[in-house]
Amino acid sequence: MSFFQDPEFGDRVITLMAALVLVLQIAAVGQRWLVSSIRIFAVQSFLLAAIAGIIAYFNHASHIYIAAFLTLSLKAGLLPWALERLVKRIEIRREIEPLINAPLSILIAGCLTLVGYVVAQSFYHPEETSVRAALGHNTLAVAIALFLIGFFTMLNRRKALTQVLGLLSLENGLFLAAISLTYGMPLVVELGIFFDVLVAVLILGILVSRIREAFDSMDVSKLRKLRE
Amino acid sequence: MILLALLIVPLAASLAALFARTRSVMEVVNVAAFAILLCLAAALGVQVLRGGPVSLWDEFFYADALSALVVLLTSFVALVCSIYAVGYFRHDERNGVFREKKELRSALAVPKLREYYSLTPLFVFSMVLVALANNLGILWVAIEGTTLASVFLVMFYGRETSLEAAWKYAIIGGVGLSMALFGTLLTYYSAHRALGTDTLAGLNWSILVGNAVQFDKPTMRLAFILILLGYGTKAGIAPMHTWKPDAYSEAPVPAAAMLAAGVLNCALYGLVRFYILTSKCLGPDFASHLLILFGLLSMGVAVPFILVQKNFRRMLAYSSIDHSGIMVLALGFGGPLGVLGMFLHMTFHAITKPLLFFCAGNLQQQMKTDLFPEAKGGLIHSLPLSGGAFLMATLAVTGAPPFSLFLSEFTILRAGFGGGHFVLAILFITFLVAIFSGFLIHISNLVLGPDRGLPPAENCPWKKFSVVGVALVIIVVGFWIPAPLFRLIQGAADIVFSGR
Repeated sequence: MSFFQDPEFGDRVITLMAALVLVLQIAAVGQRWLVSSIRIFAVQSFLLAAIAGIIAYFNHASHIYIAAFLTLSLKAGLLPWALERLVKRIEIRREIEPLINAPLSILIAGCLTLVGYVVAQSFYHPEETSVRAALGHNTLAVAIALFLIGFFTMLNRRKALTQVLGLLSLENGLFLAAISLTYGMPLVVELGIFFDVLVAVLILGILVSRIREAFDSMDVSKLRKLRE
Repeated sequence: MILLALLIVPLAASLAALFARTRSVMEVVNVAAFAILLCLAAALGVQVLRGGPVSLWDEFFYADALSALVVLLTSFVALVCSIYAVGYFRHDERNGVFREKKELRSALAVPKLREYYSLTPLFVFSMVLVALANNLGILWVAIEGTTLASVFLVMFYGRETSLEAAWKYAIIGGVGLSMALFGTLLTYYSAHRALGTDTLAGLNWSILVGNAVQFDKPTMRLAFILILLGYGTKAGIAPMHTWKPDAYSEAPVPAAAMLAAGVLNCALYGLVRFYILTSKCLGPDFASHLLILFGLLSMGVAVPFILVQKNFRRMLAYSSIDHSGIMVLALGFGGPLGVLGMFLHMTFHAITKPLLFFCAGNLQQQMKTDLFPEAKGGLIHSLPLSGGAFLMATLAVTGAPPFSLFLSEFTILRAGFGGGHFVLAILFITFLVAIFSGFLIHISNLVLGPDRGLPPAENCPWKKFSVVGVALVIIVVGFWIPAPLFRLIQGAADIVFSGR
């Protein structure tokens, strides 16, 4: 079982998983069923937790295990469960037509991935020769792409719940950048950030359900009263 | 110890309000807590002036003159808002605002008030934490905390429009803050390569500032852009300002005043901390150009909206966009004068802005509208105190002499001309004059004019006291700045300029 100690092997597994994360993100762009979007997010978070676990294993950085565990329990478990319950309760299954149709959205997502690779180029430091230290550096492009595509999803979608999902996948991009660039921020910071994300989602959930009560739909484009 | 006390007092006030049974207990707890907080903040200021930076727990909390100034301003705003809130919510309760809503139909509206009186101290707690946290990650968490605590305050009345405002606020704020987090992360990365530290201290500002010269330059450049966009969203800098008018016009007036005079400072405080790192790493030019661009853009965006504004509470929001633009511009002009001008402006703005909100709130509660056409004019006859104070605050906030904002705007202007930015400085004057005239026309039409025979109102001592109290502070500061306060401002400017 010597390949378990080989950083080269870890690097390949991480790259594979990061690619899967990116594919899922692009799939989510074209997805119109709310429940499927939520499940895609859950799988994506699970993969991120796995990446964090692998980086922690090869770098012997025990505090990343905690981050991995938090991601697994909160983002891959608790949040999708809560969001699915919300969807069942408010009885909305499908997203209405987004502003830009699905094929074009996927094309734009592809372009954003390219942008991610271009931006990540400037962070590439070939003088870092040790494989162990460079572990996961090539996932930065994926992280930036996730961030940008999440941003695009928020602009493109009109349901309150899909906007929340966009925000969450944007946060996933941040998390991937954090663990791939710096093996995670200091632990206290990570705990704080996770706490904040959780509370933010709770607030957004309350808002979503109240918007539903007040407007009988979650269509954000109906929020048009406050204008100049 | 004093740092810990500053954080514990608001937390305790929040808990106490949660368990309070009656309205009067909540009011007393709220006002008392913020009064204690103001005393503690003043004590912190004195301590910093006497003995330099104060720190606790291995520099986990760290307060220099810059932090002490922001804490002092935050607690001042919190105190005057809590005094005003007593009168404001009593008026709401008398007029049955809480009983009209079916979900709020409860005896004496205590649960609804409990929501306000337990959330505001939490809100203030996060603002104080912003200033005291040394770790840039904790700083981010605290700024996110201000958003979370205030979202519920924005949707306090539960109207359709307040939901819309809260939604916009939460989503735009969330996206902005995730950009700021990315920026913080990249800062950590660029420092991480230089410092090679994996410990908690690797994000401590007091350590980073000494090593900023060795940071990775391209990374730092991207980091500053993200930070400017992120914290700029919280400060309401154009083009990320769109949540502001909605949130300010839908939140209860005391909460809106705290957003305008408190959160604005906290967001700019975060920006300044990163500005110091960036200008030490890359030289001042890169950050300055960006700051000047966004500052002038914010002022320019505010002008047309103030000139044609129909709603006086939205107008206040555009004024706050304008003022955050002025402060960012001052930081961009840089030099000792520009930075000093920015902190003078921050101080005077935080003192002046609450009065404007209080007067607008009094008018709105009296007329039951916040639109100029419906309120008509001649309000000074039925509301002599608020009307008069509104006029005075308008002159003060638009920077007319003898009020103190004139002094700070003049300092910024001198910094602009001194730095050779002639065209920009002239543009700055043009925007200021346009906003001054727009404000003065609208407010004088609202306040002055023939008597419309409305019955005189204004019998609430709490409202009167807060209006008169803040007005007195504004007048006094216009002619005389207490020497310790000025030394604190000077100290904050020195930190930015010399990085110490």
